[in-house]
Amino acid sequence: MVASPLAGRRPATKESGRRTLARRLQRPGVWFVLPAALLLVIFFTYPLVTSLWQSFFATSGGVTSWVGLEQYARLFADPLIGKSLANAALILIVQVPLMIALAVGLAYLLNQSWLRFRGGFRLFAFLPAVTTLVAYAVVFRVMLATDGGAVNQVFAVFGVEPVDWLNNEWWARVALIAAITWRWTGYNMVIILAGLQSIPAELYEAARIDGAGRWQIFTRIVIPQLRPVLIFTTVTSTIGALQLFDENYILTEGGPNDATLTPVLYLYKVGFRQFDFGYASAIAWLLVVLTAVIAIIQFRLMREKK
Amino acid sequence: MRSRTLLLPAASLAAAALLAGCAMGGGSSAAPVVLDPDAKVSDEITVWSWDVAATALERLGAEFEADHPGTTVNVVDVGYDNAYDKLSVGLQAGSGLPDVVTIETDRAPGYINEFPAGFVDLTPVLGDAEADFDPFKWSAQSDADGALKVAPWDSGTVGLFFRSDYFVDAGIDPAAIETWDDVVSAGETIKQTTGHTLLSLDVATGAGFQMLLQQQGQGLFDDEGDITITSPEAVEALTLLQTMNEKGLLKNVKGWDGRVTSAKDGDSAVTPEAVWWIGTLLGDAPELSGTYGVTELPAFEIGGVRTSNSGGSGLAVPAQAENPQLAAAFVEYALADADRQASMMEHEGLFPSYLPALQGDYFHEPQEYFGGQPVYELFAEQTANIPPITFTTDNAEASDIVANAVVAAVLNGADPESALQDAAEQIATATGREIAGE
Amino acid sequence: MSVTSTLTSVNPRTTDARDSRPAGAGPALRRGILRAPVYLLLAVTSVLAVVPFLWMVVASTHPTSELFGTPLPVLPGGELWANLARLQESVNFSQVMLNSLGIAVIYTVFSSIVSIMCGYGLATYRFRGRGILLGVVLVTMMIPMQVLLVPLFQMMASAGWIDSYQAVILPFLANAFGIFLMRQGFLDFPVSLIEAARIDGASEFRTFYRIVLPVARPQIAALVIYTFISQWNAFIWPLLMLNTEDRYTVPVALNTMIGMSRVDYSGLMLGSLLATLPLMLLFLVFQKQFVSGLLGGAVKG
Repeated sequence: MVASPLAGRRPATKESGRRTLARRLQRPGVWFVLPAALLLVIFFTYPLVTSLWQSFFATSGGVTSWVGLEQYARLFADPLIGKSLANAALILIVQVPLMIALAVGLAYLLNQSWLRFRGGFRLFAFLPAVTTLVAYAVVFRVMLATDGGAVNQVFAVFGVEPVDWLNNEWWARVALIAAITWRWTGYNMVIILAGLQSIPAELYEAARIDGAGRWQIFTRIVIPQLRPVLIFTTVTSTIGALQLFDENYILTEGGPNDATLTPVLYLYKVGFRQFDFGYASAIAWLLVVLTAVIAIIQFRLMREKK
Repeated sequence: MRSRTLLLPAASLAAAALLAGCAMGGGSSAAPVVLDPDAKVSDEITVWSWDVAATALERLGAEFEADHPGTTVNVVDVGYDNAYDKLSVGLQAGSGLPDVVTIETDRAPGYINEFPAGFVDLTPVLGDAEADFDPFKWSAQSDADGALKVAPWDSGTVGLFFRSDYFVDAGIDPAAIETWDDVVSAGETIKQTTGHTLLSLDVATGAGFQMLLQQQGQGLFDDEGDITITSPEAVEALTLLQTMNEKGLLKNVKGWDGRVTSAKDGDSAVTPEAVWWIGTLLGDAPELSGTYGVTELPAFEIGGVRTSNSGGSGLAVPAQAENPQLAAAFVEYALADADRQASMMEHEGLFPSYLPALQGDYFHEPQEYFGGQPVYELFAEQTANIPPITFTTDNAEASDIVANAVVAAVLNGADPESALQDAAEQIATATGREIAGE
Repeated sequence: MSVTSTLTSVNPRTTDARDSRPAGAGPALRRGILRAPVYLLLAVTSVLAVVPFLWMVVASTHPTSELFGTPLPVLPGGELWANLARLQESVNFSQVMLNSLGIAVIYTVFSSIVSIMCGYGLATYRFRGRGILLGVVLVTMMIPMQVLLVPLFQMMASAGWIDSYQAVILPFLANAFGIFLMRQGFLDFPVSLIEAARIDGASEFRTFYRIVLPVARPQIAALVIYTFISQWNAFIWPLLMLNTEDRYTVPVALNTMIGMSRVDYSGLMLGSLLATLPLMLLFLVFQKQFVSGLLGGAVKG
């Protein structure tokens, strides 16, 4: 029932047999992307090439030497790489779906025309995304303090024993996941909300004429129509999870016992504390490869079935 | 065709990249700057510092300008902690650093060892005054060949802060505290009689452990660069922390705010900390005035060293400085002078590592906050006793591994000896160094 | 004209038009029962999201020495003006707010234009190098920024741009996240609209400007909000680039309030709170684009 309105909505250039139009559209396409392409070439060619180049060198005591692929070989023997990737995987598997589900649900509810005080609810849900990092750090540490922290005080009302949030390996992970979800759900909600706006009203009408219920409309119209936006939020949240740095740096510095160490926090320690920029670059490119593989899988999985 | 036009700027930038690539890794190509102690100074310098340290340098900068006509000293507050990102990037990039930077003592060895060409040797200007400085600071801030790279500024002399009211309530004479064993048994009595924990520590950083290690004259490595954390001294230090936790005397807190909170809440009957903690107490816990006293850090055995180091900082002149002569002259002016170092104590609370400054009257004055005890006297006496320790290029990495061993032993109840053995082996694998005595 | 009729047919609306139909007393009651949990849910979410902010408000009205220690203050104190005066004195807060505003506005305007154009180009046209460009955009997103800082810093230093605003703004003007967001947003753009415009003889840019942009307003609003926030809260790059206190941005300036043995938490909280005000205002203005009836004025003229 949703097939007919969708058919006309594919970009014309994707359809075969329209090569003339495609060729005609080459030139304007280049003009549209030119500013971005130039900026990327000017400002990122050198940094990207340098970071790759650097990963073939090692520096110790101020002496830099070519080591070939040694930094990459190190990755496989380094237990902290495994541990930080496992932490990132946990966040990727638990936090990202949780947050996106929350964001979709919130956006859907906040898009209902009958909802009163909609603007207010939207602003509240969005507030966490605008916090400065420094305030975020202080507020969360105060809330999560073991003695007298706001969260444990609320728990005490329900007779729950105080939780040692930031000092216990598993609770620290839970706290981190909660903190990331708090900060980023509203941000994703806004993007999804914008996506909901571009769903034509006629689709809802058509579905309703077909006798679809609320849930069917949600699963058969809303979700498929949101696909590009969902790909965006999924891919960027995946990147965010694999590149997690700010939250664990300020809350736990990767502790206790590396329970919240993530690849980029490790990379930062290697590069900016141990000044081993070669190894840091190798970690970075490992992450690029891993992220790209995951992103490609996500693109494939979420591609609309023809 | 079109893609070719896009490739053109890319190619030219790649060429620029190769040229600039030579500068990576600290800019060792340039000839090292050699300071002339008698050079006439002029012109302008920029100084990076933070917080009250910046305030102090701004004040002294104005005095310097008045004493040296034709010079200008610009002080920029670049913020603390993240200032190191600026410093690291500037050193790595080989450009962008000012004439003088502030570096903490704990961080100095890492920068000195990893960027041997990164800083100007200050020995020609300050070398004559070596005997007048805190010996630990001088050695920690010099390179392996004894060249002073970061001039000692404020000291992190450690003492034992204690809640005199708790001690009175528990019927313990603080003057009788001589060893850590005394502290632990005092802590048990205090806990029984007043209900307060003995001390608060951010266990996960491992900083408390390293302070106890330095008290016994040890770093993470010995003079040969071998790993020393399996020594009996290290095991004893870690066992002490574990014992305190097992007896319920230790309160584990997170972050700076956590430490301040626990001090204000009275969860710390004692606080082994550096002299700068006074500034924190005065500013953030004014309501506790009259309840604190200070004594020497308890020894591990009678007659042992009764101090250690925590924090403190220094000033360095990056090799990229545009005006290293003037920079060094300003560093000498501010730091190697008894009156000026003492003035920074009085105005900004920066405790001098320049020993002659500690003779001043200010250090003998009774302090109201501490019930009239002249607490600075004690820190002044102990500053020359801080044991020097060895740092290597791998201290940052080893510190992280040691912190995990501290968590394992103190919080998770692992055997201190085997936790340290595990850590030593991890450090050995990660750095290729030997474990001392194996 | 033909464009108008096409447009009205895809007029985006707030969902669930069913509820705008007149209903009797029975359905109204049923609806009320259905909606009560939704309000409850949203209320709980709002509380969770807002409580930390309320604590920031409380914290910014107390002296730092009252912020620690149990119990925590839960009611506003009387130190707001003292904290404000200290904030202004120690980091020249009004100046850094102006700096941040200037940088963020300029960045948002130009970066959004670049992102919208590039996203539209990538989503709509086929041209040689499109795959490569999309790949580069994704790689710049995927590589941790930490390893790009040093080479980027070297470029700025050799250009003599250290301590300038162009060094803060220019390198990140092509914002990969923004480009990707727009590309995804335009991917399902109704091509019938573009074709209708072409039949009318409009040029590609005119079509883009007159037809595409108005319909994409919700997406663009999301982009503008995202872009502004990312620049407003940017920390590490402005920190590395700016060496003069009077040129600092808000996050860099606030960071200088963290000292070695003292942290001015009250000032930090107040500064952070004030720093979120422009963002709230921006959100309130632009979230209006997320409401139905966008196209009313867009097709005229």
